[in-house]
Amino acid sequence: MKKAMAKGLALLMGLSVLAGAASLPVYAEETELNIYMWGDYISDDLIAGFEEANGCKVNLSFMSDNADAINKLTAGAGSDYDLIMTCDAYMESLINGGYLEELDTSKVPNAEANLNKAYWTDDIHNYCVPYLMNYIYVVYNTETCPLDEITCYNDLIKPELAGQIGSVDGARNLFPIALVALGYDPNSTNEDEIAEAYEWLTKYNENVVAYGSTEQNMVSGAISVMFTYDGNTAWAMDQMGEDNPLVIAPFTEDPVQLGIDLYVMPKGAQHQELAYKFLDYICDAEVMAANLVEFPYSCPNDAAIEAASDEYKNGPAFDFDYKTNIFFQEDVGDALPVYDQYYQMLKVG
Amino acid sequence: MTEQNLKRVRKKRRLAFLADLYAVLMYTLFYIPVAVMIVFSFNDAKRNYSWEGFTTGWYGKLFSFSNTTLWDALVYSLIIAVLATVISTVIGVLGGIGLKKFEFRTKKFINMMIYVPIIVPEIVLAVAMLIIFITVGIKMGMGTILIGHCTFCIPYAVVTIKGRISGDNETLEEASMDLGANRIQTFVRVTIPSIMPGIMSAAFLSFTLSIDDVVMSNMLAGASQSTLPVLILSLNRTGLSGDVNALTTVMIVCMVAGLLVQSLIRRLISKRRAKEGALLPQEEG
Repeated sequence: MKKAMAKGLALLMGLSVLAGAASLPVYAEETELNIYMWGDYISDDLIAGFEEANGCKVNLSFMSDNADAINKLTAGAGSDYDLIMTCDAYMESLINGGYLEELDTSKVPNAEANLNKAYWTDDIHNYCVPYLMNYIYVVYNTETCPLDEITCYNDLIKPELAGQIGSVDGARNLFPIALVALGYDPNSTNEDEIAEAYEWLTKYNENVVAYGSTEQNMVSGAISVMFTYDGNTAWAMDQMGEDNPLVIAPFTEDPVQLGIDLYVMPKGAQHQELAYKFLDYICDAEVMAANLVEFPYSCPNDAAIEAASDEYKNGPAFDFDYKTNIFFQEDVGDALPVYDQYYQMLKVG
Repeated sequence: MTEQNLKRVRKKRRLAFLADLYAVLMYTLFYIPVAVMIVFSFNDAKRNYSWEGFTTGWYGKLFSFSNTTLWDALVYSLIIAVLATVISTVIGVLGGIGLKKFEFRTKKFINMMIYVPIIVPEIVLAVAMLIIFITVGIKMGMGTILIGHCTFCIPYAVVTIKGRISGDNETLEEASMDLGANRIQTFVRVTIPSIMPGIMSAAFLSFTLSIDDVVMSNMLAGASQSTLPVLILSLNRTGLSGDVNALTTVMIVCMVAGLLVQSLIRRLISKRRAKEGALLPQEEG
C-alpha cells in the first residue's frame, strides 16, 4: 500500500508527469522478476516469501484471456517477461514456433522430484513447469436430477435431461466430449467425425439451459446437472454447505478433459536465474501446500498434495476415482477452422 | 372549455404520462446492474453468487489496504487517466481552435483524418501500436499505455471542443482585441472561458475513455503493473470477490459526488455572475 500511497501523492503534487516518464524505458534490474499470469491465482504470501528469500521484487501483471499470453509471445513482446502462464493446449505451437526458452531442468530439482510425470509429459517437459490444473467433469444434484446416475457423456443427451444442464462454453471444451461419446479421438482432425460430433452437440444443446456461470446456476437451483471445472464445483459445494446433494458423476469409461496451467520462459527472458529460482520455489512441497489452502485446485505436485491440509485432501470436488483417465486438449492445426465453423453453427442453431 | 379542448388536454396528459413512464423504464434499465453491483458489495459471501447476508466487511477489507494489488492497479489507472486527460485536453483545445478558425491547405485532410482513430476498431489500433513499439524497441509500460490512450482520447477532445466554438466567439475576440488586449490575453481571458464547457466535456470524456479502457491497456501493458479494468477482467476467471464490488462502488460514489460538486460550483458561479450583472453572455453547460 505504501507504494500506492506514494504514487497517489505524486499524482496530487502534479509530479505524475515525471512518474510517467520515469517508468518508460527503465531497464529492469537484476533484482526483479516479471510474471504474466491470471489475477488472484497465486498466494500473496508465497510471493512475499520468495521476495524475502531472494531479496528481489516480483512484478505480477495480469492477463484477461489465455490468448493474451499468446499474443504477447507471438508479437515478440515475450522478452518483457521472465515467466508467462499459459496452458498445455498451446504448448505444441509455442515450442514449434520457437517462442520459448528451453529449460535446464537440473535448475528446478523440486519440480523434478515432486511433479507427477503423468501431467509433466515428455513432449512439454523441457519447456514448462506445471502449476495448477483443472478437470472439466460432470456434476449433478442427487435431489433434483431426473436421472439416477450419470456415468458417461451419452447420458447427457438423454431427453430426460431437457432443460437441466448448465455447461462451460468453447469449441475446444464441447467438441471433445462429443467425440469421446462417439468413440473418436477427442482431438480429432477428421472433418466427418467433427460433423458427427456437431450432430451430437445439437442434442446436447437442447438439454442445456445456459452456458457459463454453471456454479451460480447450480447454487440457485436453475440447473441440476453441470459440465464444469473442478474449481467451480468446489465453490458450489462450499456454498451449498456440508451436506450438499452434489456428486461428481461416477464415470466408468469416458475420459475427462484436464487442462494444466503452466509457466513457460519466453525467448529472451532477462532474469532467467531468478525465474529458475521461482519455479523451483513454487514446486517446494511446503510452499505449494500452503498455496493450496488459498487456491484449492487440482495440483500436479504429488509431494505438495501429501503435505497439504486434510481439508484440501478431503475436498469433495477433487474426490473422484478416474483422475488418471484423462485427455488433453491438443493442437488440431488446420482443423481449427472446421471446429470454429461447426461451433458457430451450433451457436446460431 | 369545449369538449374538444378537454379531449386534447386529456390526450396531452396521457402522452406526458407515457413519456414519464418511458423515461423511468429507461433509467431503471440503465441503473439496475449498477444497483445490483452496489447491493452485492454488502454481501456476506466469499463469492458473489447469491445473497447471504449483510456485511460491511468488504469495505473494511478494502480500506485496510491489505489488498495492494487492487489499490496499485487503481492508482496506476488513475495516473494514466489524469495524464491522458491533461494531454488530450491541451491538444484538443489547440487542435479544435486551429481547425475551426484557421484556413490552411491540409485542413480538410486533417479534419477527416481526425475521425480515423474514432472509426478504426480499437483492437486494430492496439495491435498496430504494439507492433510499432516492438519494432522501434520501446519497452512496454505506462508510457506506451499513455500513448495508446491519447491516440483515441485526442480525436474525441478535438471534435468536442471544435463543436463548441461558434461565430459568437469570434465577435467577442474581435471586441477584446479592439479594446486593447493582445492575442495571448484574448486567448486566456476570452477564448478559453467562452469554450470552457466544451473543454470540460472533452476532459471528462477523455478521463472516462481512459479509465475504463481494456483493449489498449491490455495490449500495451508492460511487465510491472496492470490497470484496474485489466485486473478485474483477469479476476473474473475465478469469480470476483466482494472487495472488487466495494471498490467500484467507491468509484461510483466519487464520480456522483464529483458531478454534484461540479453542478453546485456552476450554479454558484452563474448566481454570482447574475448578481454582478455581468454583460458577458452566460454559458450554460
